[in-house]
Amino acid sequence: MKRDEFYRRLFEIIPGLLTWSTLITLFILAFVKPIWVAIFVITFDVYWVIRVSYLTMLLVFAYGRLEKEKKIDWLKDCESLGSIDGFEYGDIYHVILFPVYKEGLEILAPSISALENANYPKEKMIIILSTEERAGENAWNNALALKEKYNNSFFQFLVTKHPDNIIGEIKVKGANATWGAKALKYFLDSKDIDYGHVIMSCFDADTCADREYFGCLSYHYLTNPNRLRSSYQPIPVYNNNIWHARSIARILELGASFMQMVETMRLEKFVTFSSHSMSFKTLVEVGYWPVDMISDDSAIYWKCFLHFNGDYSVIPMYVTVSMDVATEKSVIGTIIKQYKQKRRWAWGVENFPYVLMGFLENRKIPLRKKIRRAFHILESHYTWAVWAIIITFVAPLPLIFGGGLFRQTAIGFNLPSVAAALFRMSLFTILVCVFISVKLLPPRPKDVKPAKGLVMIAQWLLSPLVVALLGSTPALDAQTRLMLGKYLHFHVTEKSRHGHAVQ
Amino acid sequence: MKNSDKIKRAIAFYSFVMLFFILLPVILAYSLGYHIDFKELKIYKRGIIYITSHPTGAFIYINGKLHTDLTPAQIEELKPGTYRMEVRREGFYPWEKEVVVKPNMVTKAEHIILFPIVQETKRIGEEETIDFAVLNKSNIYYMARSGLFRSNIDGSSFKKLSSYSNWPKKIVNKKFSTDGNKFLYFDERNIWVVYLNLDKTIVQNGENAHVEEVLISEDPIVDVFWHSLSNYIIIITEKYVDVLELQGGGKRNTATLYKFNKKPKGLYYDEGSDSLYFTDAKRSADSKEATYLYRLDLRQTFFSKLMQLFTKKEVETLDEKR
Repeated sequence: MKRDEFYRRLFEIIPGLLTWSTLITLFILAFVKPIWVAIFVITFDVYWVIRVSYLTMLLVFAYGRLEKEKKIDWLKDCESLGSIDGFEYGDIYHVILFPVYKEGLEILAPSISALENANYPKEKMIIILSTEERAGENAWNNALALKEKYNNSFFQFLVTKHPDNIIGEIKVKGANATWGAKALKYFLDSKDIDYGHVIMSCFDADTCADREYFGCLSYHYLTNPNRLRSSYQPIPVYNNNIWHARSIARILELGASFMQMVETMRLEKFVTFSSHSMSFKTLVEVGYWPVDMISDDSAIYWKCFLHFNGDYSVIPMYVTVSMDVATEKSVIGTIIKQYKQKRRWAWGVENFPYVLMGFLENRKIPLRKKIRRAFHILESHYTWAVWAIIITFVAPLPLIFGGGLFRQTAIGFNLPSVAAALFRMSLFTILVCVFISVKLLPPRPKDVKPAKGLVMIAQWLLSPLVVALLGSTPALDAQTRLMLGKYLHFHVTEKSRHGHAVQ
Repeated sequence: MKNSDKIKRAIAFYSFVMLFFILLPVILAYSLGYHIDFKELKIYKRGIIYITSHPTGAFIYINGKLHTDLTPAQIEELKPGTYRMEVRREGFYPWEKEVVVKPNMVTKAEHIILFPIVQETKRIGEEETIDFAVLNKSNIYYMARSGLFRSNIDGSSFKKLSSYSNWPKKIVNKKFSTDGNKFLYFDERNIWVVYLNLDKTIVQNGENAHVEEVLISEDPIVDVFWHSLSNYIIIITEKYVDVLELQGGGKRNTATLYKFNKKPKGLYYDEGSDSLYFTDAKRSADSKEATYLYRLDLRQTFFSKLMQLFTKKEVETLDEKR
């Protein structure tokens, strides 16, 4: 037990230690060996330009797939498949689970309405609203009101209340989702429905699924021979309130969407994120979502990965689910909200000790696979925490602290111009982002002026500021907390939709 | 992922990895100051000369050979050594210097000013002018044959302020008061004050300025300073440090603050602290004369001392402790 605790703490410390060692070493070297730091900065800049160019190319590929698959009539394709492995699309039940806290009707109703508008047969769809006891009567009454309104629209509309303070649980979304899934199990047992025919989609409260979502999901589920050992990941876009959100928030959320699109092209690293789907049979077999981890969306993937000895994958679906941009009326409020949301995402670094502890226990996963996956987690979180700091804050350090002699050296003289040239080389990626962001935009609401369309393009000028402010700092914060054992508590990103235009 | 996507991604990935390994050494070598001599197939450490001039666009000659770039330029690919640099532009005097280029280092020749061979002059002001004074880099005051005029620093908004034209033959210096509302000028024995920005209610005959002779000195005047309050002037003659009050009508108060043993050689007035620095000679006990630097504080006790002097109606030399 003591040995386990030691290893867990060690694995918790490693990401933060690596990140801080890098930053502190670079800072010290900027004083004593500015030339070394300058060489490092140029090397990192070259690496970053190449990496960003490569990722942009993957983004273009992914966007191409998204555009192409938008035109597919998935239900028709499902029908044409006929029976596979003894069942066909008509046998599939879709369960959409919303673990909710205090989100109001204005957030939940559009999400359920989007499900009502889906082109999938409603008699095969089950909705579960799993509320939190600690959220109070209001949340429960909202759930009941929605049940009353939509009860006849679907095969079943279940409402549950997750009790507080269950032993072994902490206050996280995964605990609520698990409670809701267990309630579903009772229901399915009562109807004698095969778990293998049930696909569970765990959605954030603000998730509005594309009308083709369930057809697309059914198609991938049916055609995937390894369907029970796969999760199904749509592309998250943040379109619900994008026309009313602050520019800073829009850039960050678009960046998140783009990264998810890129990840669909890198399956060896692909991990579930936010709203996604999986077989209910698999969910029951692995023992539901972790009830003591904040990043339940990725943690469930790793839980499955460990349970099935590494034989678990994520299938990308080029269909979108739309969510809210985390925004506020004020710029400062938006920055704080975004910071907290990104820090919660970056808290996904908690998967590193979780996965490594699992790797220590599991002898069946090949060592090479263990090393590769552990490296992927560590590398992605490490890079997240240092890249923006290196580019914006470390890069000028040799010039500031290197002294006159350094500035007289060729590298001291060339550093600003070389860095600027590399930065200019990466500007084309912004143009690609602008193009795709415009293509992904939903129609402009009537209360938004046409000129806002220009703001949607001009907003990208804020990118350097956004990078400096929120590029790495939330990840650094998360890793530092994990390193020091000051664990993050689940912070619900408050959903709010403003009915007014914000410039 | 479709197979075609896998292939596309693999091609993109390995292309970018290759690009990284090709670009990095080239960029690092360039940044560190290395250069490849393709003729001799040798890598050597180069030095850089960074050269800027005003005006820009001048030709650069290195050891007599014309360089392809005009200023400002960053001249690379120079082997370490000493180079004769020339910067030339038609119509300007050339600039020449020998510069030493060190390996992997930058030699800077910045802010070179090329002076034109033929200086273009432009007449400012429309009146025949005896002398002029400039206030705060913004206004020119013309002491012209036909009166006192004012214009902006570029000569625009030329305007007559007064018909006064009795300027002395030789003006030694002119100085503006701290508040900018007056300036004085003086010759060897006389001091005049020009009052500017007159209250329009008291302007007479349409005059916007008033010139007044404020002092006729028995001793030759060495220099004159404004007290920071702008209503007193400190007059340094060969024998005395005097103060003259300008404010108010009636009798103008004067006082002698210090008597020199010898005509001062050096003088400096610090407006920030209202202190006068000057040299004076003093004879020691063995009758040897030695010159020292003294400081006279005109702020801390200036007004109280002055009031005492005015009330006693006597002039006394302040002791050396001042």
